Parts: sequence; structure tokens; C-alpha cells
Amino acid sequence: MIKITVKCFSQVRYALGIDILNLEFESGTSTSQLEKFIRGKANGKLDGISLRIALNQKYVPDETELQDGDEVAFIPPVQGG
Amino acid sequence: MVKAEIVNGPIDFFPSEDSRQQDGAELIFNGRVRATEHGENITALEYEQYEGMAEAELTQLAEEAMNKFPIHDLFCKHRIGKVDVGETSLHVSIWSKHRREGLDAMDWFILELKKRVPIWKWAILQNGSRIPSECNH
Repeated sequence: MIKITVKCFSQVRYALGIDILNLEFESGTSTSQLEKFIRGKANGKLDGISLRIALNQKYVPDETELQDGDEVAFIPPVQGG
Repeated sequence: MVKAEIVNGPIDFFPSEDSRQQDGAELIFNGRVRATEHGENITALEYEQYEGMAEAELTQLAEEAMNKFPIHDLFCKHRIGKVDVGETSLHVSIWSKHRREGLDAMDWFILELKKRVPIWKWAILQNGSRIPSECNH
């Protein structure tokens, strides 16, 4: 098993109603599988919202394997400026 | 040289300089909070960041701009937290030999910032409620 921390911002935090999730998954779980889990937890509130994946504070491709202790954030469209 | 910083509070602007002899262009951009959002009057925008990653992405973006355009310096500060109408949320200063490369770099840098730097904002209405801010201009 691996332990993952998911940090939630903006629409993701609004959809899940929480800032941080501490989760456990089987070894070999990918970021796309985690995204599917998060979208399921949001009960449709993230439908139509594109999410980029940040792993340990860097953008990564969708199919990246998670490691024990990883910090993940699903980044909704950003709005700086 | 690159300077990129996320600040929580009023922005202390980068100073203008009269001592530079190789830079013919000093470009300064201040992004300020407008009084209306989707036709509604607002009192402020509230910015949130992914702490750590936002400043790292801003720095990386500034370094990419330095490599992509023949400019000499790019300094940037982005404010987070509550920013009242009229106040500055984004301050960018670019120094270059001529204006063209500075203007191109400024435009590219701000466009990319709006795509990549993990910062989000909400508009605060006059009744105190918050709505998503979706300006992409």
C-alpha cells in the first residue's frame, strides 16, 4: 500500500468540501486512477472541468505512477493575473 | 536576471532606474482589480495559490521568457489574498535593449502565467458573497 496526500484548490476544494485528503492505495496506482477516484468523490461537481495533475508540485503527464508519500494536486483552470 | 515572488499584501513595486546604459526599454505592467465582474459591482478579488508551486512556476516561467526573448531582466510579483478594487495584483518589469522584444516578452509571459501558474481568484460582491472570476483577457 502507498500513502498519498491530495491537496485541493479552487473548484476541487469546493466540489469535495475539503482542503487535504490523506488516502491509501495499492502500489502501482496511477495519477489517472486517482483522478477517477477524486471525480467520483465529487459526485458530478467536477464534470466538464479540466484538471491538470501536479505531482510533488510539478506538472506531470496523466499516466504517472504514484509513489509512497507523494503529494498530488488536481489543478483546475488557473486564473492568475 | 530573474526575480519572481508571490506576496501576501500590497505590492512593493520594483524601482525604476536611471543608471542603466545598455537598456533602451523599461516596460512596467501593473494588473489592477476592476470594479465590475460579469456586469456586477465588486469590492475586491480574492486570490489563492498552491503555496510553493505557484512561486516555483512563476520563477520557471520568467526564466523561460529570458531564454526565449533577448531581454536582460524580468522582475515579477503576484499578490495573493484579498485585493481591493483599484489595487495591483500583478506587477511585471522588463528591461531590454529595444522595445519590441520587451513588449513581446511581456505579452508571452502574462499569457503563459494565466495558463500555468496555480493561482485562482474569486470576486467579492458588494453584499459580501463570492463568485468565480473568469477573466481570461
